[in-house]
Amino acid sequence: MSKKVAIVGLGYSSFRTTSQDVSYREMIFEAATKCYEDAGGVHPQDIDAFVACSEDFMEGISIADEYVPDQLGAVLKPVQSITGDGLQGLASAAMHVLTGELDLVTLSAFSKASNVLHYANVVSYACDPTYVRPLKENPYFIAGLEMNRYLYETGTTEEQCAMVTAKNKGNALFNPTAAYGAKIDVKDVLQSDPLFSPLKYLDKSQDLDGAIVFLLASEEKAYQYTDKPIWIKGLGWATDTPNLDNRLDGMGDAVYARLAAQKAYEMAGITYPRKEIHFAELDDTFSFKELQHLEALNICSRGEAGKLLEQGVFSKNGDFPVNVSGGSLGVGYLHEANGLQRLMEVVLQLRGEAGKRQLDDVETGLAFAWRGIPTATGAAAVLSSRY
Amino acid sequence: MGILERITKNVDNKYWYPENDTFPVKNRYTAGVAGQKFFQELKDNGKIYGTTCAACKLTFVPAKLFCEQCFAELDDWVDVGTTGILWSWTIAYKNKDDSKKETPTLLAAIRLADGLLVHWLGECSPEDVEIGMPVTAVFKDPGEREGSLLDIGHFKPVIS
Repeated sequence: MSKKVAIVGLGYSSFRTTSQDVSYREMIFEAATKCYEDAGGVHPQDIDAFVACSEDFMEGISIADEYVPDQLGAVLKPVQSITGDGLQGLASAAMHVLTGELDLVTLSAFSKASNVLHYANVVSYACDPTYVRPLKENPYFIAGLEMNRYLYETGTTEEQCAMVTAKNKGNALFNPTAAYGAKIDVKDVLQSDPLFSPLKYLDKSQDLDGAIVFLLASEEKAYQYTDKPIWIKGLGWATDTPNLDNRLDGMGDAVYARLAAQKAYEMAGITYPRKEIHFAELDDTFSFKELQHLEALNICSRGEAGKLLEQGVFSKNGDFPVNVSGGSLGVGYLHEANGLQRLMEVVLQLRGEAGKRQLDDVETGLAFAWRGIPTATGAAAVLSSRY
Repeated sequence: MGILERITKNVDNKYWYPENDTFPVKNRYTAGVAGQKFFQELKDNGKIYGTTCAACKLTFVPAKLFCEQCFAELDDWVDVGTTGILWSWTIAYKNKDDSKKETPTLLAAIRLADGLLVHWLGECSPEDVEIGMPVTAVFKDPGEREGSLLDIGHFKPVIS
C-alpha cells in the first residue's frame, strides 16, 4: 500500500449465546467505549469517520444505516454502512484513511443472532426466488452439496472435517470469550445428528451475540493512540456469482477465497504465504470450510489440508496454527461480525495480549472471512506488528 | 379509502395478522426475459433450455439474457435435453424451521451443459447415488404445470 494504516484500538462486548438484557445498540456502545478506552481514551468527537457493518434482515429493522450513529459516537459525523462482513468493512475503513483526508476511522460489526427467530427463513430470502426458493427447503442444504462436492474433488474425509471441530473447540477452552469450547474427539462429531449429509450437527458452528469495534489511524497519528500499532499490510475481497447454477467450479472450491487472498498477498508483498505468514484465523462456519479455505488461501495445495491437519501442522503448537481462538466452531458464529472476531484474535496475538493461548514469535497473521450460505463472498487481511 | 380516511388500528390492516401477530414479508419477483422463456418451455414443451455464449464457449442453464463472463447479450437458445450429470447431492434431515423431517429428502445439483439445476432426487435410495451418475428430469403432467421450477417433479437416475 502506498500509505500505511494501523489498528490502534480494539473493544468488544462480552460474547454470549443470548442477551435479552441489552439491545444490539447497547452492545455496540459497550464495545465502542472499550475500544476508545483501549486507544488511549480518545473521544468520539475526535474521530473523523465511521464504518458499520450490518444486515437489515438480521436486525428486524430496515435501512440499518439509520441505526448506526449514536452507539458509536457518530452523530452528525460521516457514516458509511456496509452490508457485508466486518473484513469488507475493514477494507472500506482503510480506504477512508488511505485518501489522506481522514486520520481516525471507527469500524464496527455485531451479531444479535438470538433475536432472530427463524434464521433459515432469512437465508432462504437470500436464495434465488425462481430457481432455488420454490423447493421450500432449509437453505443449509447448499452446505451439504458444497461439502459433498469438496470431499469428492479433494479426497478429504469426513473424519478430517470432524478433526477440525475437535481442534477448534479444544482451542476455545483457552479463550475466555468463547462460548462453545469443549474437549471432544472425532467420534463425537461423526456420531452427532445428521443435518445435510455429509454435514452433521457438530460440523456446523452455533450462533453467538456480540459486538466488536476497532479504531484505525493513519501512520502520522497512530502512535498518539497506542504503543503497539498493528499494521494492515494487505487487503482483498471477492464475490463469486450469487447463482448456484453458475457454480460448477465454485461448488467444491472456494474461488472467492482464492481471489481475495491473491490480492491481499500481492499488496502485502507475500510470495510464500505459509512461510511469510505465521498463523491464520479463518472461516470455519462449517468444519470442511476451514480445510477448503486453507487450500484456497494457498497455505497448502488442494487436497492437502486434511493430511496436514492430521500431522498437527494447524494445531496450536504446530508449524502454522489455525484458529487458535477457537474459530466459529469454538467461539461461536457472529454473523457479519465473524470477520472482526478473526481480526480481533490476529490483533491480540500480534500485540502479545492473547493470554494462555499466546503464540510465540508471531509477527504476521492472516484473517479471512466468508459471508456464509448462500453467498460466495470472502475477504482477506494480512496484518503485522512490524512496520 | 380517500384522503380523509385512515386505518388507525393495526388489526384493521389487511396485511397484519393479529391472531399470531405477524406481518408477512411478500413481494413479486420478475423472472425476466430469459426466465420467462425458460419457464414457458418447461411448461409448454417439457424442455430445458439454455443460452449459449459462442465467444466464451459456455451454455448457461437456466438460460440467461447475458453472459456474466464477457457481458454479451445471449439469444442463441439451445435445448440441452432433460438428462444431466449429478454434480453433488445431500440428504436433508431438517425442515426450514430446523425441526426434524419425518422423511429426509434427497437434494441434488444437476449439471446440464455448463449450468447447474438444484432439485430433488427421487426413485432411488442414498446407497444408489454417486456423484457423476446420469440423472433425468421427471416432469409433471402437462395439465399440472404452471411455469415454475416445480414443473419438474424431481430428477431420477438413468437406468442403463
